[in-house]
Amino acid sequence: MVNLSISAQLVATLKATGVDFFVSVPCKLLAGQIRLLEQDTEVCYLPVTREEEGFGLCAGASLGGHMPCILMQDSGLGNSINALKSLIQFFQLPVVMLMSYRGSPGEPVPAQVPMGLLAPELLKLMQIPTLNCHQPGDLTEIRPLVEHARVTGSPVAIFIDFQLMEGDT
Amino acid sequence: MNRYELIETLVPVLKDALVVCNIGIPSQELFSICDRENHFYMLGSMGLCSSIGLGLALTTNKSVVALEGDGALLMNLGTLATIGNRAPDNLILLVIDNGSYGSTGDQATYTSEATSLAVMARGGGCQSVIECSGEDTAGVLVDALGAKQPSVIISKVVPGNRPLPVVPLHPIVLRERFKKAIQM
Repeated sequence: MVNLSISAQLVATLKATGVDFFVSVPCKLLAGQIRLLEQDTEVCYLPVTREEEGFGLCAGASLGGHMPCILMQDSGLGNSINALKSLIQFFQLPVVMLMSYRGSPGEPVPAQVPMGLLAPELLKLMQIPTLNCHQPGDLTEIRPLVEHARVTGSPVAIFIDFQLMEGDT
Repeated sequence: MNRYELIETLVPVLKDALVVCNIGIPSQELFSICDRENHFYMLGSMGLCSSIGLGLALTTNKSVVALEGDGALLMNLGTLATIGNRAPDNLILLVIDNGSYGSTGDQATYTSEATSLAVMARGGGCQSVIECSGEDTAGVLVDALGAKQPSVIISKVVPGNRPLPVVPLHPIVLRERFKKAIQM
């Protein structure tokens, strides 16, 4: 997969782990993956209007026997805490959260920083296993993380940051 | 007709569908009238009934009825755009609109004043939107279940709640029996 863009590697890796249902709230760090998913006929993909709504769709898809993934900014975590706690974690439903790590080094928008600083602590507090993808080699950790989500019936988070996505086409 | 009396008329029609039911007293009333394995009582996450129903409808061939309330739908209005553009034929969003937050003490919602959920649903892109009385709802639902298109039904009833206990099912028990009902 070394010749593929990072976005293509991310989508291919998630699909290879059995993820077959995707929803998204956009981010410029997620633009490449969303473009690929829009053209992908092998999986179900649709945009949603807000992260909390997306977790509702993921819950329904999980009940329907699919493995869901939500593409979202880390700032959207703030919109989703009740949905994660009283729906996803309460019913122990596996969901992959592919999150752009906004507010981390490389961030040009100061207003993204406060939630960006809080997001890793928030995930820890919420007991959501998290993987930081900072360089391409880190993507090899995605498969065991998704398997962990399946085994434990838990949401898991994958952070993708500015350095990882630099030069992504 | 109030919500409880409406649900009594809907239960026979919902027998073969997958039902996602709004949190709180609506779930308690449905559970009390008739508990079945094809019912998913939300227990938490107010506002997400229609979204759970959409995710389910996209991943199963069975008919899915999201039994939502007006107050809960007002919390998640973006869902009407997503449903208006992406709902598959097997999704029915049935909103029990009593103009009231029934589970929290019957505070009025804006649908008791100027707000129309039917107009909002049409504005979101939903093609088949029917507003009807509680008395007519079971018949409208029968037609919607037979139609080959997604439907939104706004059922107008009066406020009022039965005093009932919280649904006594463990979430994992509820999840597993519902998943079994999906596969049957």
